[in-house]
Parts: sequence; C-alpha cells; structure tokens
Amino acid sequence: MKQQRNVALPRYGEYNCALKYVVEQGFEATCVLPPPLSRRTEDLGARNSPDLVCTPFKTTLGSMIEALENGADTIIMVPGACRLNYFGELQEQILRDLGYTFDFINLSLYNTGKAVDMLQALKVLNPRCNMVRAARALYEAVRMVEYLDDTTSLYYQNCGFDPTGSYPKVYRKFISDMYAAQSPAEIREGYRNANRSFADIKLHKPRDPIRIGIIGDYYTVMDPFSNLEIEQKLADMGVEVHRIMNLTNDMLRNREKNKQAIIREFSEYSMGASSTADIWQALTFAGQAFDGLVQVKSAFCIPETDIMPVLANLSRDCKIPVLYLTYDSQTSDVGLMTRLEAFYDMLEMRKKVVP
Amino acid sequence: MSGNKMPSIGIPRALLYYRYGTLWEHFLEALGVPAVLSPESSRGILETGIRLAPDESCLSLKMFMGHVEALIGRCERIFIPRYSNFGYTELFCPRYEGLYDQARNIFLSSGQRFITCNIDAQHGSPEPRAFEQFGAELGFSARESLNAWQEASEVLHRQRKEKERAQRELAGRPGLKVLVAGHDYTLSDPYLGKPILDYLEAAGVIFLRTDALEPETSRKACARFSPTCRWIVSEEVVGGVQLWKDQLDGIILVSAFPCGPDSMTNELLIRRTKGVPVLTLMLDAQSGTAGLETRLESFLDIIRFQKGETV
Repeated sequence: MKQQRNVALPRYGEYNCALKYVVEQGFEATCVLPPPLSRRTEDLGARNSPDLVCTPFKTTLGSMIEALENGADTIIMVPGACRLNYFGELQEQILRDLGYTFDFINLSLYNTGKAVDMLQALKVLNPRCNMVRAARALYEAVRMVEYLDDTTSLYYQNCGFDPTGSYPKVYRKFISDMYAAQSPAEIREGYRNANRSFADIKLHKPRDPIRIGIIGDYYTVMDPFSNLEIEQKLADMGVEVHRIMNLTNDMLRNREKNKQAIIREFSEYSMGASSTADIWQALTFAGQAFDGLVQVKSAFCIPETDIMPVLANLSRDCKIPVLYLTYDSQTSDVGLMTRLEAFYDMLEMRKKVVP
Repeated sequence: MSGNKMPSIGIPRALLYYRYGTLWEHFLEALGVPAVLSPESSRGILETGIRLAPDESCLSLKMFMGHVEALIGRCERIFIPRYSNFGYTELFCPRYEGLYDQARNIFLSSGQRFITCNIDAQHGSPEPRAFEQFGAELGFSARESLNAWQEASEVLHRQRKEKERAQRELAGRPGLKVLVAGHDYTLSDPYLGKPILDYLEAAGVIFLRTDALEPETSRKACARFSPTCRWIVSEEVVGGVQLWKDQLDGIILVSAFPCGPDSMTNELLIRRTKGVPVLTLMLDAQSGTAGLETRLESFLDIIRFQKGETV
C-alpha cells in the first residue's frame, strides 16, 4: 500500500487550519503546513514568476516551494473567477522546471460548475477513504471557517480599544486551538473560550469611534502578511476596523443576485471576480455612516483596477473618503504607515467638521 | 421600427471591435440602424485614454477609453459590449466583463447614453439571447433581431474562414517564416501593432498571425497543450503557436503592458515551446518605434543566421 500522502495548500491567511482538518480528519492523510509567509516566501515566489503576474501568484508559488521543502508530496490548487483559474497550471510547470517531484491536484481542471466534480478530484487524496466521513469533515471545516471569520472580525473591531493588551493573546490562542482541533467538540470549545475571554476584557471604546471598512481582492485583503497587517495597523491607531470580505460572508452566507440588484446604480453587471461583492460592501459601509474606506489590492489585479472608477463615483455620491492601496512584493511598511497615518488624520479632522 | 428618429450608435474602434466588429456592424446594418465608428487609433486618442482610465489598467483599455471619448456627443448611444463567457470553458478576460460599467462610470458626468450587449452564458444570457436583448433595446422584435444576428454571424464566419485559408496558403510558401502571436486588437491596431507588421513586411519576411485562425481550430490546438487556458483570445495565441511551431523560424510574442492573461500564457509558452527562437515584445505607451525596430532587426538577424542565410 502506498504511504499516506503529505498534502499541502499554499498559505492563505489562517484558513489552512480548515484544510488541515479536512485532510486529516476526512481523508486520513497528513497535512503539511507551509511555514508562515515571510520575506523569503515572497522572494522565492517573485524570483521564479513572470514579472507582470499579480502578487498572489508569486506569494502562493513561494509558499508551495516552502511546502515542498517541508516534505509535502501533494499540492492542491484552487480554481477562481479571474487569472486565479490559471495559477495552478503555470505554477505546476514552474515547480517541475525547478526540479521538484510531487503530485499536483489542480482543481481548475474540474471547474465545470458542478461541485460533485471537485469532490471526485479530491478523492485522489486517499482512494480508500470513506466519502461520508470526508463529507462530514468538510461540513465541520466549514463551521471552523465560520468561527474563524467571526472571531477575526470581532478581534479587529475591538482590539484597538483594549487597555490591558490581552486581546492579541486570546486571538493567538484561538488560532492555535483551531490548528490543533481534531473533533467538532474541540472546534466549538476553542471558539467558546475565545468568545468568553473577549467578553471578559473591559474595553475603553469611545461612543463614536472612527470606523473604517476594508475591501479588496480575494487574496490580499484576507491575508495579513500580504496586506502588511493593515487591519492591525489601523486598529493600533484606535480605529474600529470592519471587513465583510471573508470566505464565510462571500461564499457561505450572501447571495450574489441580490448584491447586483442593490448596486445597480453603480454597476449593472458583474465586473468580474470580487468586484460585485466589493462594490456592495463599499455601499453597505457607506450606508452605515462609516468614516472611510480602504481598498486593498495586489498590483495588476484586473477586477479591482476596473472598479476604481466605480468607487470614485460612489465616494463622491455617498460622501465617503476612499484610500486606494496597491501592494506588490516590494511594498515596505514605512510607506504604508505614512499613508495610513495621513488618512487617519484626515478622517479625524473630518469627523469634527462633518457631523 | 416606428418613429422617424433613428438612434445612431457609436462603436469604439478598439478591443473586441477587431474581433467582432464585423458582427456588430452587420447586425446594425441589417436592422437599419446607422452606426458611427470612432477614428483610427492615434497618439492623441491613446493620450486621452491614459488620462481617463485608471493608471494600472492595460494599454488596450486605455486606448479603448480614448476611443469612447472620441465618440462622446457624436452619437445618441455608444455601444460598449460586455463579453463575459460563452459557457464554463469559453471565457473572456475579466476586463471585458467590467468594460460597460467601467466606461459608464468614467463618463458619468458627460451625460452620454450607453448601450450594451451582455453575453454571459453562465448567467442565462447566451449569444442569441444577448443580441435579442440588444435589438429589443433599439426597439426591434425578437424575430427581427435574431434574423439580423444570424445574418451577421454568417458574414463573420465566412470572413474568418477566408482569413484562415489565406494563412494556411501563406504557411505553405517557402522562405523565412515568423509567427506574430498576439491579441487581434493589439496586432490590428494601427497605432500599436501595425508598425511591427509593417516592419516585417518591409524586411521581406513571411509572417503568419495567430489572430487569423478560426476559433475552433485554435481551441482544439490549445486544449491539448494547456487544458486550463480558457480565455478565448489567449487560446488563439497558444493554439496558433502549437499549430505552426514546426514550420517556423521564429515566434514574436506581442503583448500590451500589463496584459493579465498574457503575463501567464506567454510564460507557459516560453517554458513549454522548445527549439524555436522567441522574441517577446511588450508594447507600452512609449512613442517612437526606433527601439522596436532595433529589437526586430536583431531578432531577424539571429534567425537568418540560424537558418544559414548570410546576413
């Protein structure tokens, strides 16, 4: 019998904990976690990628290389609605040219509009696995993603107002609980513990804090390393940071049809990939009288560049300032800090003038 | 159609015009709707586009916005197609998906009216239905629109067949042969791609073009080579190279900065195509063709040398 597979997916925020759960509990294979994203990941990726491809391609490629170095023998790559759909094929070619030996499961090949085809593709992970067990693990992992997103959004909304400084500790504990969880009970337990600890911390929040909504492309906005921890940086300035864009909200809870109808005035048809969700989120934030918006996108991201004129009109009509940020693999902390501070100062002054 | 005031439709001569222009023009002609074309691409049009479009957009989109600007106020409605997909395996670059709404937002203050033809088979709007809707917007019945669409499609089909036949004939001729691989709206654009083709023509080289193939031919060739490449326009570039690579002395990949699909498919082509020299030309907003000519000249020298012809 063939040995257990060592499966890896490139790092994507903290979502790898859910994949780990599915692979280990559902398919009874081993999940290899690539090391946390670092300067090295990005250098590895950028060195081996074409120049003009978007940054997530380079970051995920770098993460794949690090996963292979960590002993992975099977790599999974996801499909998508933009260039992402082609990531897998080119990345596999680049890795093979570099001389690595591995199996590659490119889910783009099974992107036929039917979910069953995808599950079939994943059966390769362990042909003898019990599909009922796999489906149950998948369901539990989806719950884990929901818990992760809920806790993350609670964290960034409040951690800027925590005088004790124990918020990050609770959050980090929660993340490591999720990576360690082996049963639904443990997942629930970790979630409840985090919530309880958060509730115990007394916050010093002003009655009307500055609230900023974050929108952006699927990868960069959800991956703290890729966006240089923009949420943490803003929270540290004393901002209530909101981000609707996460896997839970975008894939499990909301329905695209209604969004397009709501944003009709700004965009009649979908402008590709994350665009509809983004414009809808921007409009939602504006409707809730947020103080500002930040658009986080990777360099050369097509849909995010296309919606810039839409956001400009939305900003003018709804009277909400927008900061446009483009990230490439060279972006440094310092430039970002300067822009964020200037944006924050502007919002703070504006808040005094505009009721 | 009732009423004596016919709406005149403006068509920007950029992007998918070079691919489906025949279809649109014949469709409107069959319905009796007068159409206005924007002037040929020029430095001026590109500069206007650069001013209007977001900085990080591709050169082709900037050119497109320049063409739209040239039509503002010159027609009742400007036609901005939205080509999203013909199904799950026949996609377009996301840029065309957002084209209509992006233009609408950029030119919001001009008061200009726009009209679209929304081709999105994944969401219940396949090509015939899209043209039916387009016709309905102009005040025609479903039957009238469908007939006009069918007529126009046949013209387009014949034209493509003829183009491919001419290419195949060209491919059979002896002599130094290069393949110019690029999107039709880059190669056919008088300001962007034409200088390259003119240079090759003057140098006495036989050049084939990937955009002269019928979509079916290139799709088949591409599916074998790169199964997840599903952008119709890129399939042509990839498929064209596969189809002819054995008869070629060189390949010139022409791409507009910073084309999204090209950034990936061209990399794959270079990695997987062995034995044929490849030149990658990235077109950006630079004026002047001296740099271009130097690169083309040295490339031709190299492949001539390789073939044993004296330079």
